Amino acid sequence: MSAQGGGGGGGGGTGGAAGDQKDRKRKESILDLSKYLDKPIRVKFSGGREAAGTLKGYDPLVNLVLDDTTEYMRDSDDPYKLTEETRTLGLVVCRGTSVVLICPVDGMESIPNPFLNPET
Amino acid sequence: MLPLTLLRTAQNHPMLVELKNGETYNGHLVSCDNWMNINLREVICTSRDGDKFWKMPECYIRGSTIKYLRIPDEVIDMVKEETVVKARSRTDMKGRGGGQRNRGGGQSKTLDSDGDCLTVG
Repeated sequence: MSAQGGGGGGGGGTGGAAGDQKDRKRKESILDLSKYLDKPIRVKFSGGREAAGTLKGYDPLVNLVLDDTTEYMRDSDDPYKLTEETRTLGLVVCRGTSVVLICPVDGMESIPNPFLNPET
Repeated sequence: MLPLTLLRTAQNHPMLVELKNGETYNGHLVSCDNWMNINLREVICTSRDGDKFWKMPECYIRGSTIKYLRIPDEVIDMVKEETVVKARSRTDMKGRGGGQRNRGGGQSKTLDSDGDCLTVG
């Protein structure tokens, strides 16, 4: 899938000398999604949806292609509260504008309250 | 002091980020950009109601979803130092680049019929 080149892509469209200048001026994105390619990532969306899937592709606008995607279902009366329930979405394209957070699934785990001080 | 200047200065420092959805993220700032998109490392995520916690090695947060960031007090002193340095280098620039101010700016030139420049004003 050619989407793998996404990190290097850009606004594009302008050619010639002006384009070169733009290239020099444009800063690298702080988000390097290439390191997550073919690895499972967790994505949170605006509005409260959450999903996890294998990153298959992306573009500079952070539109994502996820495979084997699972959505985490939410409480019916609190759209931000997750339940144990999941559903399978399969292959999806996520729209970048609604992506709130991206993190790798590997190393993500639920923990007890780390801010509680045992001495107090 | 600009908010993004402070944030850039706070790189490699721990901070708390609250999102519009109410979740908070504690972690070390790795990088940020002009949209306030940020990368955090060694992150602890706290749910909206504050009763669930997750650990994650790193995460990327979209700037437009941030409500606020809490930054350690000492970072503000580091900004001041930086602004002094910057102000000085800006004065240097003025001295060196002053002679070229009107280069290529067509508006203030007087041209004769065949386009030769008569005065530069």
